[in-house]
Amino acid sequence: MPDLLWFVLRRLFATVLVMLALSLAVYLIFYALPADPARLACGKPCTPDRLEQARHFMQLDQSVIQQYLAFLKGIFAGRTFGEGAAAVQCNAPCFGYSFPLARPVTTLIVDRLPVTLSIAIGAAVLWLLLGVTLGVGAALKRGKLFDRLAVGFALIGIATPSFLLGLLAILVFGFWLNMVPVNGYVPLTESPVDWAWHLITPWLVLATIQAAAYIRLTRAQMLEEMNLDHITTARAKGAGERRVVAVHGLRGVLVPIVTIFGLDLGALLGGAILTEKVFSMQGLGELLISAVGQLDVAVVVGVTLFSAFLVILANLVVDVVHGVLDPRVGHA
Amino acid sequence: MPDQTANNQGATHYNGSPRPVLEVADLHVTFKTEGGLVPAVSGIDFSVAPGKTLAIVGESGSGKSVSSAAVMGLLPPNAEVTGEVLLDGRELIGLSSEELRRIRGNDIALVFQDALSALNPYYSVGWQVAEAYRLHHDVSKKEALKRAVRMLDLVGIPSAEQRAKAYPHEFSGGMRQRVVIAMALVNDPKVLIADEPTTALDVTVQAQIMRLLEDVQAEFGTALVLISHDLGVVAEVADDVLVMYAGRAAERGSVKDLFHRAAHPYSLGLLGAMPRVDLPPRPRLATIPGSPPSPGSITTGCPFQPRCAYAHLVGERCITERPELTPRPGEGYHEAACHLGRRPEVML
Amino acid sequence: MSSSVVAAVSPTRQALRRVRRDRSARFGAWLVAALIVIAVAAPLLVKLSGQDPYTYHIDLLDPAKGGAPKGALGGVSADHWFGVEPLTGRDLFSIVVLGLRTSLAIAIVATLITTVVGTLVGISAAYFGGWYDGVVSRLLDFLFGFPQLVFMIALGIIVPAEFPRWLLLILVLSVFGWAGLARLIRGQARSLATREFVEAARSVGSSGWHVITRELLPNLLGPVLVIATMAIPGYIGAEAALSFLGVGVPPPTPSLGRSISDSIVWVYTGTDPWFMVFPGIMLFLAVLGFTLLGDGVRDAFDVRLRRAN
Ligand SMILES: Nc1ncnc2c1ncn2[C@@H]1O[C@H](COP(=O)(O)OP(=O)(O)OP(=O)(O)O)[C@@H](O)[C@H]1O
Ligand code: SF4
Ligand SMILES: [Mg+2]
Repeated sequence: MPDLLWFVLRRLFATVLVMLALSLAVYLIFYALPADPARLACGKPCTPDRLEQARHFMQLDQSVIQQYLAFLKGIFAGRTFGEGAAAVQCNAPCFGYSFPLARPVTTLIVDRLPVTLSIAIGAAVLWLLLGVTLGVGAALKRGKLFDRLAVGFALIGIATPSFLLGLLAILVFGFWLNMVPVNGYVPLTESPVDWAWHLITPWLVLATIQAAAYIRLTRAQMLEEMNLDHITTARAKGAGERRVVAVHGLRGVLVPIVTIFGLDLGALLGGAILTEKVFSMQGLGELLISAVGQLDVAVVVGVTLFSAFLVILANLVVDVVHGVLDPRVGHA
Repeated sequence: MPDQTANNQGATHYNGSPRPVLEVADLHVTFKTEGGLVPAVSGIDFSVAPGKTLAIVGESGSGKSVSSAAVMGLLPPNAEVTGEVLLDGRELIGLSSEELRRIRGNDIALVFQDALSALNPYYSVGWQVAEAYRLHHDVSKKEALKRAVRMLDLVGIPSAEQRAKAYPHEFSGGMRQRVVIAMALVNDPKVLIADEPTTALDVTVQAQIMRLLEDVQAEFGTALVLISHDLGVVAEVADDVLVMYAGRAAERGSVKDLFHRAAHPYSLGLLGAMPRVDLPPRPRLATIPGSPPSPGSITTGCPFQPRCAYAHLVGERCITERPELTPRPGEGYHEAACHLGRRPEVML
Repeated sequence: MSSSVVAAVSPTRQALRRVRRDRSARFGAWLVAALIVIAVAAPLLVKLSGQDPYTYHIDLLDPAKGGAPKGALGGVSADHWFGVEPLTGRDLFSIVVLGLRTSLAIAIVATLITTVVGTLVGISAAYFGGWYDGVVSRLLDFLFGFPQLVFMIALGIIVPAEFPRWLLLILVLSVFGWAGLARLIRGQARSLATREFVEAARSVGSSGWHVITRELLPNLLGPVLVIATMAIPGYIGAEAALSFLGVGVPPPTPSLGRSISDSIVWVYTGTDPWFMVFPGIMLFLAVLGFTLLGDGVRDAFDVRLRRAN
């Protein structure tokens, strides 16, 4: 399929450009910071001399463009702050160095990522299953009790902020019924059972909220799809109702759902931030919020860029998947 | 005896044709909607024999598509269907959905007006034709595809083997309609219902598609129910004609009866003028002043009365009494539902 | 012959009629009306209750329970209709109605700004097309693909503390919000721009401005109204989320999101869950009301909001 290959290459090229533009924009914005990170690092009795030293060490004495180029270079080749014995090494995919935490940003992100991913991926699987089954069911039972229940459920999910539902869940299942742990994260490698047990409430909460949008989307798409002429054709050919729905109806609904799902996965960080706060889990969101509190620019920039890259990457994947799923893409 | 019942119910076959394969008698279709009951079809009869063509004509909304969907059992759940639909003497109304499924696409197939929307955009045309075959034959996918390619070839798709892999949007309108016809014919159905199969196409392609339908009909002996707005096409290919108005039969008979001896003012209106033997009929449905009544709005009298130019010649009866189909002079079963006893043009 | 001449009813009138007939839309409309009345009259209501959101009532708290309110339902009484805030004893009713006022004010202003900007950009992109449309589309993609919440939080670090936070919230919500509206409106306008009457106006040499304001805009009012209404609950939720994360309006200005955030510890320990319940219900009702209304308006105008690309 040379058509598709070209399409992917074009999109890949555009993606790299967008990432570059975005990182430059983020860099320019955040280095207009009014507070001086070097002053924070310098400590309480801060002599001008020491301040200058700190600035030099943190490479804040260079121009923004120089800093940006150093940052870009750091991603591919790593970078070193300072010289000699005091030098701080930041290895190859270096997305900056957090002086307050004395760790490379990449390490910080990699440390926190499992928490965020655990929350997001578990929830995503749940909400996809829940949303699509309920949405399809509601569409097929349009106007019936099942449809009303599903639509009502979706409405409540849409209208409830995730953090509110999270707190409610903690109150009911954690405190009143004492069924599940209310906070904390246990690494998967330590104990898969505890891992899942601690995550079950956040998963359900996030899944309920997100499934709402999927129920509405799936239901609307399915209703539209089942009204199309080619569905009647399938019936006229002698396809049974189950086959009509599964092979002909769902096939058309697949494209928009996969699109939204990809974009939602790309934006998983946003949803996870709120969940992490509610359930006191130390994920990327928590990393970002505490970095904002400590004026830790390197971490803020790193996390922002990382999440932006996730979104852009998701867009790319969605476009490609779209091209594979919909034979009409790329021909028009 | 199904045969006898059919004859008594008026599902008569015309022209002394062979025994009809599809007989429809006293078909009623009522939709239950929020706005109340909508009687879309109120008692029509028709039949068609192998190798023969029945044309159904009538203005938009007269119930042509609803009738054909009722025959196929394809109406939405809010439709109530009564009457008789006999396929080879077997009653279809009231069959279980599984029994109906086995008949659909196998014994009776449908060709739609708009081939682009009738085909699934996500599957190759070969797959879609093969699917129609696999639904009724226990064969491997490969065999089904082979059969599909043969069918595509038969309906005149050039290099069918390769084109079978292409998707509907990669075809021209005429080629797409050929694909749809191939899909309908892949199981060698006894009855083919074509609902305005050429309306979406341009004129030269229309003629090609009609010729294709005629060819396959001749080759397979398929009974064809042709729903059309194109009186030129009807005059050329039909054996019998049913004229529908507001969910009822206004007139029916052989194609000659209709074009040369039309007895219903509505049929005359459709033909646009007095039928003249020496002139070819007008190709398109002529427009008749006024618009058809919405289903169910006329409860007594003749549904065509508000638009009828001859009503004054009859008087009260047109308003108070519904005209039934009554025999008219002609080749066989020429009937019209009009109080006007004689041929209308004589009166003017 | 023709029995009756159907009175010409404007599409807007028809749509309103449909909203009135749709039960959930009607409920949404009433809810929204009630919430707006509460928000507008909030200072009056607070005065009526004889309270204010700033005064501490330490005497109403129970030191044995770590500063949770005395009495049932979080200290609900004739004086304090929703009880009091734990730890400070401030009147929760005042906090909730004034918090609603803040939420709605920010959401509605952000909606107005993004609707105007989104409409202008969307329509002009659809009308002029060409390279301008290309640039706009890329910009929209860029903003759309931005991790908004992350960036909004991160922005908190570079904006000086003196900068009013409510204004920052509106700006941030607007900067990221207009893209979504512009994309939808561009899609609607594009399908309209190719219709005959617009082509006709173009071909007789009407200026671009004339075609946009006289032909496109009036015909897009329905979709724009729908898109704007449907955007409001999103802004209410986003404002609450930012406040919840501590980057919203600063204390002591009442805020639903911040109150809910403050309630976390009281929910964890189960000492005063009512502190979450009252602001929570108010926030839920606000998002619910505008969502129902938005759905109703969309169905009434029969606008299909598909991403046109
Ligand atoms: N699902 C439905 N619910 C209610 N009424 C319906 C439904 N489907 C069709 N009708 C009504 O049945 C009547 C007949 O429609 P039908 O589609 O059979 O007309 P037609 O003769 O095929 O017209 P056309 O030439 O436009 O195809 C119309 O008045 C239509 O409004
Ligand atoms: S019955 Fe009367 S109104 Fe009806 S078609 Fe005949 S003449 Fe016209
Ligand atoms: Mg029809």
